[in-house]
Amino acid sequence: MTTQTLSPKTDSPRQWRQAAFAYLLVAPPLLLMLLLIFIPALQSIARTLTVDVDGQVGFSFSRYVAFFQDRISVSNLMFTFQVVFLTLATIFVVCFPLALYLRFAQGRLAAAVQILALFPLFVPGIILCYALIRFLGTRGTLETILNVVGVSGYRTPYLKPEAIIIGLVWESIPFTVLVLTAGLRQVNDSLIESARDVGANDWTIFRRIILPLIMRPVLIAFSLNFLGIFGAYTVPYLLGPAAPQMMGVFMQQTFGQYRRPDDAETQAVITFIICSLVGLLYVRTVAKQRIQQENE
Amino acid sequence: MARLDIVQLTKQFGGVTAVDAAQFTVNDNEFMCILGPSGCGKSTLLRMVAGFEAPTSGDIRIDGETIAALPANKRPTAMVFQKYTLWPHMTVYDNIAFGLGLRRLSRSVIEQKVKEALELVSLSGYEARYPAQLSGGQQQRVALARAIVLEPKILLLDEPFSSLDAILRVRLREELKRIQRRLKITAIFVTHDQEEALSLADRIAVMSGGRIEQLDAPSTIYSTPSTLFVADFIGTMNLLQATAAGGELRVGDYRLPAPAGLKEGQVTVAIRPEDVVLGGEGTGWRGTVDQVMDLGHYRKIIAQIPGVGDVKIYLSKMPDVSEGAPITLNPQRWLVYQPDAALPLEYRRAGAVEAAV
Repeated sequence: MTTQTLSPKTDSPRQWRQAAFAYLLVAPPLLLMLLLIFIPALQSIARTLTVDVDGQVGFSFSRYVAFFQDRISVSNLMFTFQVVFLTLATIFVVCFPLALYLRFAQGRLAAAVQILALFPLFVPGIILCYALIRFLGTRGTLETILNVVGVSGYRTPYLKPEAIIIGLVWESIPFTVLVLTAGLRQVNDSLIESARDVGANDWTIFRRIILPLIMRPVLIAFSLNFLGIFGAYTVPYLLGPAAPQMMGVFMQQTFGQYRRPDDAETQAVITFIICSLVGLLYVRTVAKQRIQQENE
Repeated sequence: MARLDIVQLTKQFGGVTAVDAAQFTVNDNEFMCILGPSGCGKSTLLRMVAGFEAPTSGDIRIDGETIAALPANKRPTAMVFQKYTLWPHMTVYDNIAFGLGLRRLSRSVIEQKVKEALELVSLSGYEARYPAQLSGGQQQRVALARAIVLEPKILLLDEPFSSLDAILRVRLREELKRIQRRLKITAIFVTHDQEEALSLADRIAVMSGGRIEQLDAPSTIYSTPSTLFVADFIGTMNLLQATAAGGELRVGDYRLPAPAGLKEGQVTVAIRPEDVVLGGEGTGWRGTVDQVMDLGHYRKIIAQIPGVGDVKIYLSKMPDVSEGAPITLNPQRWLVYQPDAALPLEYRRAGAVEAAV
């Protein structure tokens, strides 16, 4: 009795060469990420989990315990969560109508709105902050206009959480509109028309047809915006209050101003873990999308 | 159970007239097909009835009441689209139940209606499947079930089978006809497929350039097309240039008797392939066989007749005819289209019989 063994295609020399070439192409960025991100991150995590008592190094959660026992640290973390979720909610409230308009409207006005929606993409964060200070600040453009039209008692959002939210929303609009519009363009007109045909109104179509069909772009916009906002520095530093602070500002001050690198490292690892969890949501969503595309 | 009146309905996109003063009535329980080539305005006409396009002028009435101002979601119509219309995130059950849920029917009523609709389209047991798990034909059956479950006054179908393969298309066509007869529903079916229209419709409206060229029963449309466009578009037709003079038609070197009342001048003679027989020595058109196409139970022959041009005829399996062989043709019935006359004139030779193929 003879048996035949068919070698799989991947074993052919050509396939091996192709695979080796592919690895060679991705090697430099992977190496850079390993050296500049993963290894320092792992070293930081390891340092936050060890304690040195009289030259004896041991495993300990003491740094984390200290973080969560410190009223200011916890307040800053909670403040960051509040700002992130309020900003995300505002982003979707602002960007969904914009994206829907850009998806369904045609003509010059739609083209103009698209350019306006993408404009913040070309404005550096620091310029945006100073522009907002001039616009929203005390005796700024907005207050002057309100005074001219007879509205008094303006209370500036500058140096308040609202200013951070306004700045971060402004920064996030282009990316969110792009992702949502791209997702909406995948929804075929006939799916919407057939819903209208069986009696659905605009709100029902949005809630029951459009939203479930663009859940992946929504999750991608949610997770990437979350990551950007959670670690934001420039906008919260220039527009936000002195206390409480967002984690980005808190870390920088702990490290640079108070000269407590160990505490800053713990804050960074906590921030990293929270962002990693949201990052996992993004990776899972993108992976599912790729699997679906490959199956189609 | 409803009657639809289309009254001087016009739709313009910018300077282009997509539908030009369409006027017709679809009677209660009638199955009407709107047939025409791509871009003739047939889908635009249907979309105006469904409420997806606003008419530029004219009116749409169902049972005498105007619906032209109603939005699509308030009209007593339901539409089956060309493709991609099942909501992919919903199961078959949810797709069909969606419209019923919007009408705030009780869960038990919805369940019963969905069950009946699925039985009607022979898809019982498919409730839990998602559209991606269905074939193209099954998806269109679900789309049909989703439309008819709402018991619309008018069922609108926009080329629902055009993306399916030929065998499935024929099967679904038969199924649709059966369902329409059983439910006694008034339906408008838009298609560019003349075979589909001829086999399904009680009446056909043939459209071209936004206008309705002819509205008649399928047999009338086929046997007596009222315009040259319809003659050319429906079925196969030999269209030959001729001169009418002295009570005769001069087609190349040959003469044909002219129908009564024909004025002298340039005309077009239209002859169906099945209205030409072999033979007629002496008076027959002599030429050679250029092509023989075996189409199963009959053959299509293209004969080259000097001075006349190519003439298509249908032949049964006998007698045997080969390419290059001499052939003599004898037209039995023809229509004559005059440039300034509204309708063609017909001439039928005495004793001429309908072709058997």
